[in-house]
Amino acid sequence: MTDTLAQPRPKNAAPWEKLGSRVRFASWITSLVPAAIFVAAWLGLQLDFMAALLTIFLPIQLAFGAWAGFYSYGRKGVNDGLLMVVTFFFSTFVLVLLASVIWSVISEGAAALSPHFIYQNNRYITGTTGLEIGGAGHAILGSVIITGITTVITVPLAIATAVYLTETRDGARGVVRTLLQALAGLPSVVAGLFIYSMLIVSGWSSQVGVMASLSLIPLMLPTISRVAEESLRLVPSELRNGALALGAPSYKAFFMVTLPAAKSGIVTAVLLGVARIIGETAPLILTAVIANETNANPLAGGMATLPTYIYNFLYLGDATSLQRAWGAALVLLIFVGILFVGARVASATRVGSKPKRRKK
Amino acid sequence: MSNLNHLETKDINVWFGERHVLRDVSLQFQNNHVTALIGPSGCGKSTFIRTLNRMHELIPSAGLSGQVLLNGEDIYAQAVDPVNVRINIGMVFQKPNPFPTMTIRENILSGLKLSGRKIEDGDGLVETSLQRASMWNEVKDRLSEPALSLSGGQQQRLCIARSLAMDPNVLLMDEPCSALDPGSTRRIEETILELKENMTIVIVTHNMQQAQRVADSTAFFLSENGNPGEVVEFDTTENVFMRPKDDRTNEYVNGRFG
Repeated sequence: MTDTLAQPRPKNAAPWEKLGSRVRFASWITSLVPAAIFVAAWLGLQLDFMAALLTIFLPIQLAFGAWAGFYSYGRKGVNDGLLMVVTFFFSTFVLVLLASVIWSVISEGAAALSPHFIYQNNRYITGTTGLEIGGAGHAILGSVIITGITTVITVPLAIATAVYLTETRDGARGVVRTLLQALAGLPSVVAGLFIYSMLIVSGWSSQVGVMASLSLIPLMLPTISRVAEESLRLVPSELRNGALALGAPSYKAFFMVTLPAAKSGIVTAVLLGVARIIGETAPLILTAVIANETNANPLAGGMATLPTYIYNFLYLGDATSLQRAWGAALVLLIFVGILFVGARVASATRVGSKPKRRKK
Repeated sequence: MSNLNHLETKDINVWFGERHVLRDVSLQFQNNHVTALIGPSGCGKSTFIRTLNRMHELIPSAGLSGQVLLNGEDIYAQAVDPVNVRINIGMVFQKPNPFPTMTIRENILSGLKLSGRKIEDGDGLVETSLQRASMWNEVKDRLSEPALSLSGGQQQRLCIARSLAMDPNVLLMDEPCSALDPGSTRRIEETILELKENMTIVIVTHNMQQAQRVADSTAFFLSENGNPGEVVEFDTTENVFMRPKDDRTNEYVNGRFG
């Protein structure tokens, strides 16, 4: 290595980041002036915030964006400026909405959250009982059990469907794909009603946890298969051919080469599937009822879940009930968050030892 | 080491759907010789090389008639498992295709694992395979790094080493250097010349100089006016390039078309 010829990187080794003074001037004006006018108009004229945002800020910001594009780059800059304003405005808008949803769940739910909220159940609790006792422990347990059973049953089915769609040349693939799409549009209450009428009203079974799990399968299956299908389709055919050319039987080529290459996509598929069903309420009310007792047996007795717990307390409507509902919503949110982070960490593709990072 | 690596085709015809793309190809690939397949794009030489280890049948509409004989036995005979054919007849593709989820070492051993054979001396096999592909010195300290951390030329040589780990009788190479720089190309050509001591090699190439540098024999494929591709001329490389019998060969090897 000829280290002597290497030079330290100068501070300004990014010529593309040097903006011309005109561009810098225009960006400053465009980011500050519309915001200032908007704040003045909003506070000065006592306007409604949303109305002012859409009728005053957005048009002015668009006009300034167009002007900045024209001032910096001439006519061809106008569309750039407009597009930039539109993308920034609406992505910020959506981000703020999302953040406000999360924030309201956290701020409202935090009051109800306490250690006993996580493990106590809902026995002897009425709508007006104080928050010192009672919790969503039974609902957390129920959610874990019902979602878990559904996941265990559905994941192999869904991945097998995706494999059938991508790895075989069978003639019925088109029909299966169409049915899968139709299934994706199935309203959840219909899935619940199906299990309710076929297996519960008929007397074959009763309202128990495993019935709820069954009713969630048709909701989870299309989500997982469609995303898994996409990720399997993205595996280059050169890899499959490479494996087959080394004398691999098809199943080994699939398990050793194709599946590992699609791993992170398939984990995402499973996550989306879990996220799809974990908040489902309607089919659970029909199939597992709204239980107050802790019940770890999915084969006997009603079972509570977080969504039905929330539903129940929203229905009661008292101040403490609403706080309990918010608390359960926060638990659900944390639950999903942990799941997503965990799966991301688990599926991070790491091959062999840590690769040496090349300096940029 | 058994030095019997004789490959021969008899009247190979190929169809895709109803379209006849290769007609009556009968070639003898001599024991431990390098044979180059040349010809303009679309003449069927890549299709032909894929019939030699039964990769052709993986294309949905593929059709075939004729025989491919490895040491006298038809690889398309009813009792023959294509999996065993591909173990004995290795293949290197146009685009380097190391398995991205495996390390360099795992890639070398992947053939044995994929074909369900026992790995007895893994370290030794990794070393000899990489040495035969003349890249041991470059990668011996980074065997546990991902295969994709290698450069394009190294990836292709890794794919060659991966095939060599299976100790095939015949190695098929479908334009192995078309995506590579001149330096990597030269090293692969050197590797080919060393490998032919122990195996028969068939190489598809668009590069006339490459054919002349590495091949003992050359087959010129041509498909004219929408007719199926055919072998116009098959002879020693020297004769094909210096004393072609057919005018079309003469024009092609001297760069007047294609």
